[in-house]
Amino acid sequence: MLSQPSHINILAIESSCDDTAAAVLQNGNVLSNVVSSQLIHELYGGVVPELASRAHQQSIVPVVELALKKSGLNLNQLQAIAFTKGPGLIGSLMVGSSFAKSLAYALNIPLIGVHHMEAHVLAHFIPEPKPSFPFLCLTVSGGHTQIVRMDDYFSFEIIGKTIDDAAGEAFDKSAKLLGLPYPGGPLIDKYAQAGKVSFKFSQPQIPDLDFSFSGLKTNILYFLQKEVKQNENFVSENLPDICASIQDAIIKHLMKKLIIASDQTGIKNIALAGGVSANSGLRNAILQTGIEKQWQTFIPPFEFCTDNAAMVGITAHYKFLAQQFEPADTAPLARF
Amino acid sequence: MIYNLAELPLAANYLIENAKSHKLWCFHGEMGVGKTTLIKELLLQLGVQDLVSSPSFSIVNEYKTQDGKSIYHFDFYRIKSVEEVYDLGFEMYFDSGNLCLIEWPEKIDEILENETCLTITLSLSQEKRQLTIA
Repeated sequence: MLSQPSHINILAIESSCDDTAAAVLQNGNVLSNVVSSQLIHELYGGVVPELASRAHQQSIVPVVELALKKSGLNLNQLQAIAFTKGPGLIGSLMVGSSFAKSLAYALNIPLIGVHHMEAHVLAHFIPEPKPSFPFLCLTVSGGHTQIVRMDDYFSFEIIGKTIDDAAGEAFDKSAKLLGLPYPGGPLIDKYAQAGKVSFKFSQPQIPDLDFSFSGLKTNILYFLQKEVKQNENFVSENLPDICASIQDAIIKHLMKKLIIASDQTGIKNIALAGGVSANSGLRNAILQTGIEKQWQTFIPPFEFCTDNAAMVGITAHYKFLAQQFEPADTAPLARF
Repeated sequence: MIYNLAELPLAANYLIENAKSHKLWCFHGEMGVGKTTLIKELLLQLGVQDLVSSPSFSIVNEYKTQDGKSIYHFDFYRIKSVEEVYDLGFEMYFDSGNLCLIEWPEKIDEILENETCLTITLSLSQEKRQLTIA
């Protein structure tokens, strides 16, 4: 079964949250990378999939088929099947893991379970340039805010994390307070680019390398209530400046902790991951600080930053090399 | 009762004392009023040592108490249709007999109508919070 294949071909499946995704990798190179929302968009035009395990049930076969078709490989050429083992919504994880298990069993090839957050970090090994170890990765998304220290592919330590809201959530909820539609994070970024940082919000005071965004949200709420009392058009008249100020406050907090983490560990290889890496302010802040602090910065293309299966595939590739396979009685974990 | 941040432990204790045997606790209140903050304190008092963070994105977080019981923490804020909650398999959680702490319950009124819930309402009262139980 494992008699030195000439290629390592891996089919990877990711279903931890909203999107069903599948990717095919050959020797660590991405041959195809398909996400259900994209597929549905291609098929029906602009329909956003619902968050549900049933949506995963519906998408999984078409998504996998498309990933295989785009890769030019067929099932019999695969050396392993990889899936996201957790953390995530259990119903959603179950769809991906059951499918992956069944397929690996039917093809009689190994099964590889992948940690979703580790995959976000290892997504940096998909494109060039790849970071060298050790490096720090700031992972920021709607559900997570972490600083992870990577000493090797599988040596993964979370050295800082949010104690309440994630950074992406802080963006989305601030947008909601401004009356912008959900998810409003990208809109804050858009308006902020036309605005000036003119309002001051209190910076979260939280020890060590941890983050907190809950207090900032309340601070913004009070600020808006006070201003709107004096001028009911305050928000519409000042939207770009408010957005620029909110964005600045969130990014300052992220950058402060990232700088401390780099100073403390002496690590100057700094990587960014997660959906919020699309935020232009955050990208600029990392690049700018990188120049000042002589960091080597790594920001992968956006398709590898949001939830995707290519990151699961690259993680599985290294696990394959290390022969880290799942037993047949494996089950997904909502908490991992 | 009315409480400020320093009195948060009192507010959480007041809730625990007055919740009787309710298993579904619904937290009503505007964004930023302190629902998650109150729940964090509640979980601490209920013996959860895990890091408690907002489930706005994940929809549900599961925590374990020191004596091994599960507590579920929901946030239905980003739910667009109640169908999504049916698809999530909410019965598995609500009927588990474990404590369910629910933020943004108004998003799933249709489901909660048929359940017996403890209704907790939070509101801002100057710089303090007002908490009522029904």
